[in-house]
Amino acid sequence: MKPIVLWFVVRLNPLWRVLGSDPVALRAIVDVKLTMDNRRSYASLGRYGQSKAGEDKNNQFLIVLGIYTFFGLFTGLSMLAIPPKEALFIPLTITFGYLMVFCAMTLLSDFSSLILDSADNQIILPRPVNGRTLLLARIVHIAGYLFSIAIALSLVGIIVVTFRFGPLAGIMFLIMSLLSSILMVFLTNVFYLLLMQFTSEERLREVINYFQIVMAIVFYGSYQLVPRLMDRDTMLQAVEWKSWFYFVPPMWMAGAVDMVVQPAFDWPHALLTVLAIGLPFAGLWVMNRVLGPVFNARLAGLEQDSVPTTTQTGPEQASSIMQRLSHLLTNNPLERAAFGFVWRVTARDRKFKLKTYPQLGFGLAYIIAMSVGGFGAFGKSGGFYLFALYYTGLFVMTAQYQLSASDDFKASWVYGSTPISRPGEILSGAMKALIAKFMVPFYALVAIYIAWRFGLDKIDDIVLAFTNSLIMSLASAMATERRLPFSIAHDVVKRSNTARGFVVLFVLGLIAGAHYGLTLIPYGVWVAVPFSIGTFWYLFSRYRQTSWAQIVLE
Amino acid sequence: MNNPVIQIQNLHKYYSTTHILKGINLSVQAGQVVGYIGPNGAGKSTTLKILIGLLTDYAGEVSVLGYDVKTDPIAVKSRIGYVPENAALYDTLTPMEYLQFIGQLYGMDETTIERRAFDLLGLFELSGHVNARMTTFSKGMRQKVLLISGLIHNPEIIFLDEPLSGLDANTVVLVKAIIRQLADAGKTVFYSSHIMDVVEKISDRIIIIDKGQIIADGTFAELQQQHSGSLEQLFGQLTGSDDQQNTATEFINTLTK
Repeated sequence: MKPIVLWFVVRLNPLWRVLGSDPVALRAIVDVKLTMDNRRSYASLGRYGQSKAGEDKNNQFLIVLGIYTFFGLFTGLSMLAIPPKEALFIPLTITFGYLMVFCAMTLLSDFSSLILDSADNQIILPRPVNGRTLLLARIVHIAGYLFSIAIALSLVGIIVVTFRFGPLAGIMFLIMSLLSSILMVFLTNVFYLLLMQFTSEERLREVINYFQIVMAIVFYGSYQLVPRLMDRDTMLQAVEWKSWFYFVPPMWMAGAVDMVVQPAFDWPHALLTVLAIGLPFAGLWVMNRVLGPVFNARLAGLEQDSVPTTTQTGPEQASSIMQRLSHLLTNNPLERAAFGFVWRVTARDRKFKLKTYPQLGFGLAYIIAMSVGGFGAFGKSGGFYLFALYYTGLFVMTAQYQLSASDDFKASWVYGSTPISRPGEILSGAMKALIAKFMVPFYALVAIYIAWRFGLDKIDDIVLAFTNSLIMSLASAMATERRLPFSIAHDVVKRSNTARGFVVLFVLGLIAGAHYGLTLIPYGVWVAVPFSIGTFWYLFSRYRQTSWAQIVLE
Repeated sequence: MNNPVIQIQNLHKYYSTTHILKGINLSVQAGQVVGYIGPNGAGKSTTLKILIGLLTDYAGEVSVLGYDVKTDPIAVKSRIGYVPENAALYDTLTPMEYLQFIGQLYGMDETTIERRAFDLLGLFELSGHVNARMTTFSKGMRQKVLLISGLIHNPEIIFLDEPLSGLDANTVVLVKAIIRQLADAGKTVFYSSHIMDVVEKISDRIIIIDKGQIIADGTFAELQQQHSGSLEQLFGQLTGSDDQQNTATEFINTLTK
């Protein structure tokens, strides 16, 4: 991808000059950023064989693009291949809606670190580079990725549209896809700026973090819900023109493509096209002239030597829920220490929260979406609630995957320097904290929902699914490398997740299937519960006896 | 008298409501090594960041090499070098790639950068690591790369924030000699550190800042006229924390309580 992006950057040199930036510095920054991106993900794959300095392969991003193309296949075929020409406006709107949601999601979750990168401030800003160059370099850097994503997502759409309505419509579709991603860059920037306006600076990153989590959940939820709530029949009819159409961004893009498809050169279509083309560029202009300087100044403020917070002197009051729970659930000092440590850090470490909380939210959104909207009969069938319960267990497991990772992993030297003879107690304390903090509340939420929807008599299934999920979490923790909490870099965690995920999914499927079998036998589930609890107890005591030899330390 | 290369008049700086710099006045001539010292939180790094054009929302007049830092930061930045305190660099790059990048930001031509970077890395005994990624580098090796990145464009003024951290003893001697020779060649070195012995030895002029104000300014000999003893003792007396002996005793007592 790098050569292509750089090729464009050099070709557009006059544009950069007109926009008031230094093309040489711009190219240098984009070049370096792309190089680093490639290495970062490459390093995560080949941490142990990392001697090939010249090699920069970014397979991970290609895989992501492949997946997006696959997503695009569904929307492209279902939305664009079937509906008749006259009724294509709404399907087009939905297609562009998807595209925008995907772009915004990617920007908020994966690229927030690029947008809010403050290392730039220390490395690049002391050099003679104006703020506009840096801003443009950031936009180009991000746009490179977003354009790739947009093209991957709309690839099938472009082919379908070209095939059905000719190359002109296909080109229009492509252009509108790219414009959609530009618009999203602008909107996310505005979003971050607004956020910065309303919060104090030291809290900002914290708040952005929560917003990222919430937005990710909302986006995902709506992505699941909207098409299901939409009536299939209305989609196949020609639209009735409404004036609020002019306020819905995906409709601008849809209007522009629709104009070529029909072809219909009337006022509404023309107006939508003007909006579709005009606003992304207007957004770029505003970003360049107005937002950029403000944004960078604000961002610079983020990194300033923060004044240490002072609190009242003396130890904290020992009355928090955490402390009470830790006394209730743990029975030796080391375990209690690990419990408190994990409980506190999981509440404060931004990376951990960003990687875990959206997963939990997705899970909930997914379950609700499926049981409300359908998946046809499956959503209402007897097996569904079981699926939901085990699915929940799966999402809780992601929290456990992340537990060993931290940006401050180097601080884990304390595990080595302190006289710990039974590290298994740290693991068990950490596990208890995870169960008490994530598993129980989240499970309770899903359980309440299921009891409300499917009746209180499902309580036996809820209990069994809960204990089985506990067993699964433990078993997967025991089957893989055991690591102490927050002791490795994030990159390393990613490495083995996919393969492990499939195994876990498979075993979970088996257990859920067996559970379903038990529901057919009267009292079968209740009989299984003690066995499940017993297995859990046994595994847990084994886990607790983990010795140093079984623990992987970097 | 020639024009001062650094001129600060009545500089005030607030972080939200905290008054960090409370009226700094300062003027530095070319060819000096200025040691800028003070306790943590005194405003050292803030002053440096203002001087190099990173922070522009201050009150007062600040000019560097005749350029107003607020209105003409790019002109200032291209003529000065800065080595920050916290060793921030893009460590997935190799030293050569990083220096290429930084050199390009200074608008240098690529062959010059490459030649200089290679030679300078060699002088710092990093020849064998020119094309290795810096993720594996020790703190001292990173610091060497940072020092080169602040000097590669041959700046008029060099701002150094704790430049010796992580360096081994021999390199410390080397860097001190480099600082001295830069000043002898007419360049100005503005130097911030907590290591008093070093500041005492290499500075032509020592400025002590405490709670946002300059409390002492002069050569080491001049400062000694007010308070005798080493710079360390002098610093303790001036910044009001010269009771370390008693605190240390108290510390030991608490451990055994």
